[in-house]
Parts: sequence; C-alpha cells; structure tokens
Amino acid sequence: MKKFKIRGDITVVTVVIFIVCIVLVSVMFMQFRTIEQTEITQIETMRESELRTALSEWKTKYEELEKQLEEIDDKINEYNETIENNEETAKLIDEELKESNILVGKTDVEGEGVIITLNNNSKNVKAYDLIDLVNELRYAGAEAISINNTRVLAMTDIIDMANDTYIMVNLERLEGAPYVIKAIGNKEYISSILSLKGSGFIDRATTNGLTASLEVKNKIEIPKYNGEIKIEYMKELVKE
Amino acid sequence: MVKRKIAITLGIMCFLLTIALCVQIKTMDSASSTVSRTLSDNGLRDEVLKMKAKYDDASKELEQKEKELEKIRQAATQNDTTSEAKEKELKQNNMILGNIDVTGDGVEIVLADATVKNNLNPSLQIIHYDDLQLVVNELKNAGAEAIEINGQRLVNTSAITCEGNIIKINGERIGSPFYIKAIGSQSLLYGALTRAGSIIDWIKNDGNTAEVKKVDNITISKYVGTISHDYIKESK
Repeated sequence: MKKFKIRGDITVVTVVIFIVCIVLVSVMFMQFRTIEQTEITQIETMRESELRTALSEWKTKYEELEKQLEEIDDKINEYNETIENNEETAKLIDEELKESNILVGKTDVEGEGVIITLNNNSKNVKAYDLIDLVNELRYAGAEAISINNTRVLAMTDIIDMANDTYIMVNLERLEGAPYVIKAIGNKEYISSILSLKGSGFIDRATTNGLTASLEVKNKIEIPKYNGEIKIEYMKELVKE
Repeated sequence: MVKRKIAITLGIMCFLLTIALCVQIKTMDSASSTVSRTLSDNGLRDEVLKMKAKYDDASKELEQKEKELEKIRQAATQNDTTSEAKEKELKQNNMILGNIDVTGDGVEIVLADATVKNNLNPSLQIIHYDDLQLVVNELKNAGAEAIEINGQRLVNTSAITCEGNIIKINGERIGSPFYIKAIGSQSLLYGALTRAGSIIDWIKNDGNTAEVKKVDNITISKYVGTISHDYIKESK
C-alpha cells in the first residue's frame, strides 16, 4: 500500500515536471524569437534626438542638391535656347569659364573681408600657425585667401624652410614677419569666428606668443595665382 | 530516498530555469525599450527614411543632368576650335575645383588611433585634426592634385576642424580610422611621407597606426555640395 502510494507520487511528479519543462522551454523559445525580431537597422535604433539631427542633416543635403539641380537645369535651358546660334553659345562658355576661373584662383578678385597681421613676439610665426589660420578662415566661409599677396589655392602647401628661418607658400619664399593674410568673404562672420574669446585664432595666437591683429574691410583685393596650375596625374573618371 | 532524489532534481531544474528566465527577461527589458521607442518615434523615423530616399533620387537625377549638360556643351562647341579649347579648360577647372570624379595613380594612407593604450600620454595615442592637417599639407607639398579623406574631397573651401572630440571635414563628421587618398606623382608623394622624420613617422612613434602604400588607378569622387561664390568678384 505504502509502496503503491510512492509509485503514484512518482508518476504525478514526473508528469508535473514534464509539463513544467515543456511550458518553460516554450516560453524561452518565444522570448528568443522576440529578441531576434528586435534586431534592427541603424536608423531604427536611433534615439529621438539623433533622429532629429539625422532628419535635418538629410534635409540640408537634399536642399543643396535641389539648388544644384535648378542651376544645372537653367544652364541646360540656356544652351538649348542658343544652340542654333554659335556666337551665343560661345558667350555662355565664356561666362562659365570666367566663373570657374574666379573660383580656381586664375583671376584677380575683390570683395569685403578681413586682413590679419601676424607678427613674431616671444615666439616666431611658423608654417603651422598659417595653416591653422587658413583652415579657420575656410571654416568661416572665406572664398579667397592670400598670404603676403600669394594666393592660397585648394592644393597650396605652407612649409617651414631652412631650420624655420623662412616660410614657403606655393613653393614661393615669403618675406619674413609680419605676415599679412587677406580673406574675402562675409566680413562680420569671419571676424566673429576669429575673435571668439579663447578659442578663436586671434586669442590662440596671442596665447602662443605671437601678436595678431584683425581689420575688417569693405574692399579687399587679392591677386590671382602667380603660376600655372598643371594637371599631370589625374584625369576624369569615365563611368560606363 | 527516491523522493529526496526527485525533490533535489526538481529543485535544481527549477533553479536553472528560473535563472534562464530572469536573464531573458532582463535582456528583453533592454530590447523592449527599443521596441517602445520604435513605436513612439515611428513618424520621425519614416520622415528620415523618406528624406533619404528623396536625396538619393535627387542625386541620381543630378548625375543624369550633368551628363546631359556635358553632351550639350560638346555639341555646342563641336565646330568651333576656340570654344573647344575653352570647353577643355572648363573641364580642367572643374577637376581642380573638385566638381567631377577623377582617377589616377597615387598613394593611400591609413591612420588609426592606437589600439594598445599606455597611460603615459593618452592624448598622443589619438589621431588629432592637426595630424590630418599636417599630412594633407605634406601631400600638397609633394604635388598632390586631388585629396580625399574618408570620402570627403578636399576643395578650396574645405576646413578640417575639431568640435569637442569630433573631427569634421566639409562640415561632415569623420572618425578613426582615416583613409586618405591622394593622386599625384607616386614617387614624390610616397617619398615625402616615408622619409625619416616625416609626420607619418611621428604619428607611428606615438603608437598609432600609420601606413602608406602606392596604389594605381585611385578613384576620388567629387565634392558633395555646391562650390559657389557670393563675396568675391573679378576686379577691374
């Protein structure tokens, strides 16, 4: 009698264990599947603030493209209208060429901007100070820059020479300090960026032992690049 | 005896299963917060995706239009030698400005923050924006004709800046590892970067990764954005 009761108990217990196991295992599987489903792409896991930044970034990029598209449409229309007339097309090409020459640095240019004078003080002006300044001017939206009247182009290098006794820009030897850097662009914006307290170039140069002064001008003239811009190694990528 | 064995087995099993469940519930918790966020931010997310799709469409359209313009320009200048020469100069200007994709031989550089940090000066074991400026300056000195860093073409308005610990080029965030491509004379570019005491040497000596190799037929894509001018005009 006693033995039988134990047997009965065992059967009941086994069944219970079995059922509990099945339930638990199935719960676990369900959970695994849910977790698998929540593996989502990058955009999907962004937080709200990140999403907002991403949205505005894409929007700006899109608007930029729209502007480019409009410009190119205008050009195509102009060409189409004048394609019958050789003189008119020649004029269009002239205009496009003139515009791009201004940007490349093949023409003398003028406009509002700032003039920075950089001089030796407890330390001497080195190439990196000029690289840093040019970089900050570009950040502030400068459209044309010159150092001691040498035009700074996209591929212009600025290097220390002969144990830092002089500086070369575009492989041209600069007269020594003071260095006069001219930049054409939005004069208020450029001067405010450069004069930022502590982090702007003027304050940083002063802390680094140089003297730096900034003048805001309504008209600055910057000469063209005094040399030939050669292309020897790159060519247009032609896509099929 | 049998009862005790069963009880112990049952106990251990329950214990294990409970632990497994707890672990899973915890994992679920962190995952489900994403899920609920997904639900509440769905509108915003859709907008981002839509905007991106619109951007992609526009960029495809732009590419086609550029080809069209090119064809028209060529057609317009076909029977006119002076115009043809001007068209050629225009194309060269656009290559210099970064308005078209270019290809050519040159070098590729990889710079990356040190992986093994020693605590002497952790700041040295990171690639800073001024390291990039110096490498770029070195490339320009060696006659590079086109340069790109992590997909950003360097044009005459490109600045390499640092905001907090984020490096930006052309206003776009970039981070380590930095892949720099430059087209120009392979021997000059390679020589300038690998000479003893070069900036690459300095970066390497601080424990960071800095590799230079010659690569043929490098492709550098055009600048994403408009290169225009509002303040400069030709002086009389």
